[in-house]
Amino acid sequence: MKIPLKYNIRSLFVRKGTTFMTMFSIAFVVLVFIGVFSLGVGLEKAFRASGDPDTLIVLRDGARSETESAQGMDVFRDIATLPGIEIDAEGKPLASGEVIILQIFERDDGSESNVVVRGVGDAAREVRPQWSIVEGRDFEPGKGEIVVGRRLVGRFTGFEIGQSVTLGRMDFRIVGIFEAGEGSAESEVWGAIADIGDSFRRSNYVSSIRLRTTSAASAATLTETIEGDQRWRIAVKSEMQYYEEQSAANTQQFKILGLLLAVLMGFGACFAAANTMYAQIANRGREIGTLRALGFKRGSILTAFLLEAAFLGFFGGLVGVLLSLPLNGLKAGTTNFLTFSEITFELALTPPVLAGGVLLAVITGIVGGLPAAWAASRRQITGLLRET
Amino acid sequence: MGKLILRNLLRNKMRTLLTLSSVSLALFLFTLGSAFLAAIESTEGTAANRVVVRHRVSLTFSLPEAYAQRLATLDHVTAVTPLQWFGGTYIDQKPENFFPRFGSDPDTLFDVFSDYQITPEVLDAWRADRSGFIAGRILAEKYGWEVGDRITVKGDIFPLDLDLVFSGIFEQPDAESQEKQLFFHRRYMEEAMGNPGIIGTYWLNLDAAENVPAVTRAAEEMFANSAAPVRAETEEAFALSFLEMLGNVRLLLGAIGLAIIISILFITANTMAMAARDRTREVAVLRTLGFQRGQVTSLVLFESLLVGVLGAVLGAGLGALLVSGFAKAMESVFPVFGTMQASPQILSIALAVGLAIGLLSGVVPAFAASGRSIVDGLRRVG
Repeated sequence: MKIPLKYNIRSLFVRKGTTFMTMFSIAFVVLVFIGVFSLGVGLEKAFRASGDPDTLIVLRDGARSETESAQGMDVFRDIATLPGIEIDAEGKPLASGEVIILQIFERDDGSESNVVVRGVGDAAREVRPQWSIVEGRDFEPGKGEIVVGRRLVGRFTGFEIGQSVTLGRMDFRIVGIFEAGEGSAESEVWGAIADIGDSFRRSNYVSSIRLRTTSAASAATLTETIEGDQRWRIAVKSEMQYYEEQSAANTQQFKILGLLLAVLMGFGACFAAANTMYAQIANRGREIGTLRALGFKRGSILTAFLLEAAFLGFFGGLVGVLLSLPLNGLKAGTTNFLTFSEITFELALTPPVLAGGVLLAVITGIVGGLPAAWAASRRQITGLLRET
Repeated sequence: MGKLILRNLLRNKMRTLLTLSSVSLALFLFTLGSAFLAAIESTEGTAANRVVVRHRVSLTFSLPEAYAQRLATLDHVTAVTPLQWFGGTYIDQKPENFFPRFGSDPDTLFDVFSDYQITPEVLDAWRADRSGFIAGRILAEKYGWEVGDRITVKGDIFPLDLDLVFSGIFEQPDAESQEKQLFFHRRYMEEAMGNPGIIGTYWLNLDAAENVPAVTRAAEEMFANSAAPVRAETEEAFALSFLEMLGNVRLLLGAIGLAIIISILFITANTMAMAARDRTREVAVLRTLGFQRGQVTSLVLFESLLVGVLGAVLGAGLGALLVSGFAKAMESVFPVFGTMQASPQILSIALAVGLAIGLLSGVVPAFAASGRSIVDGLRRVG
């Protein structure tokens, strides 16, 4: 016969203080786990949102990122005429040659970071379907105007509509704020390629080329044609693959760190749960004896105490989740060490991360409770009943 | 008294063991975490009288070669040397095979980095070989390079591959992280690329640290209206600017460390409270036997202190023992882990934290135990 669940939950409430403290110990472990993982997942999300499988990105061979890449304007012109590239309504190919420049800017807290300043032509928006202005208007080339990514606003000093910023040798006026489907472009500053090139004295070349292809098949042929051309030392990747590589290089460390901390701290919390369960059982010797005398089997006692420990963990996990909720959407910024530039993202408390935290808590409870529950079920009825 | 504390601790061996384990685990984590933060915040090997000059916009912009002579004319500057970051790939792109590679000028490098040690023979051999390179002792030992060995570094930022010959090692006994760098002839990469004149940073050696502000100001003013304006700062500020780039992620990791300590405090306080509660009757018996309130308080307090300190010694000790192994294992994930060290300072803080955990977790149950009236205690069952 099974011992009713109500019994387990009630007995947790008998020793409120101890239960409460153990729950909090487990809750903190869950909080740490969720904290580190939401960091990694948030960063990953920002990268994943950047990549489109139908868009190709053309870099100099050997360059791991756009920052490291450079090609002559003539290469861009040649590549833009290749077949397989989508053509827009005006008959122009969706090929975007872009200049990437890093400039140091000051964050709100006074620290500094490299921010990507991207010089673009008209096609830049068309190769990024999710790009749009959310406030103000788009810049006009030749007028000293720029637009800034949504995520930079409020994190860097002076990034607001109407403000003036010095880029290279010249001052530019911010006329709009854009979004790019949560992608990494939202941490960038955009201006006209001619204006930016001129201001930084970096004209007549492009860092990277983005191509919007008509189909997956044409993407494959296009890649082959470009990489096979002996004139160029060029590598082609799909935008998705490009950002996946960056994501792997930047988020792996957080995930490993999160897992490592969770496992080590999980041990600590197991000790706490074990302590609590031992104390519960030591104080309830007679109660257990009575249960046994009433006819409950050893197995039922074991299950009952394991369930109790699992509940302890589960509630601790819920408290941990509640404590971690304010972290969701918290803005964080760090440097993408492949591009050597700022990437701003939001901590993401996704359902898998939260569920993982609760699961960790339940496992902690069960593992911690197992030795005590085992010990309780093994004891002799007579001995138990004799206890005071 | 001492015996009584010990006996009490040993009474419920399982509980003591579990509590001890959680305290030592917490302080083990604390030791590793602090060692990690210390490693990324390390500015070891930086000299107070060295100044770094770079392009005002960012490190991706380079400075003209002619700046070397002009910077040398500044007052208090005793030596100037250029350094160009090469980047690239050696063996493969795994983080453990990443180390700084700089194009440098063998004639002036050691005038500025005078704290580096190199034998005259090695220096002469390196100067004489245009494709030669020198490496810090630790780096050379890691790859087992012998003089005359050839290596290839594939370019990423620059479209060329370096074929280099090992000329020998240099040492910097006070700063291990400095011994993980490679220097080659900057002229070698310049010639391969058709002499574009690329210099990322100039390093200046000053006659005295107190002249740093004057020199940085003068250097910035000197090129303020030129095509390549500069930023000049101390070597330490330059090193810290890389740390700043990590952004508030660093702060978040710090907060997580704090959460760990708090959670362990809960765990220990919880157990100590349990231990004390179990003995309510016993305490009452002690009191009837003539033990004073103060004695009972210190009895419980000492017990928890002992657990805290013992746990700290175990945890920090384990941390100190394992930190180098951990550093090696994690280096492949994040290179900065490689320089982790458990300094005496970190270990003493860990000990203090253990003491505090013991004290804080014992204080409530200690006073609760001594504060209760004898009659009340004796009447209590369970």
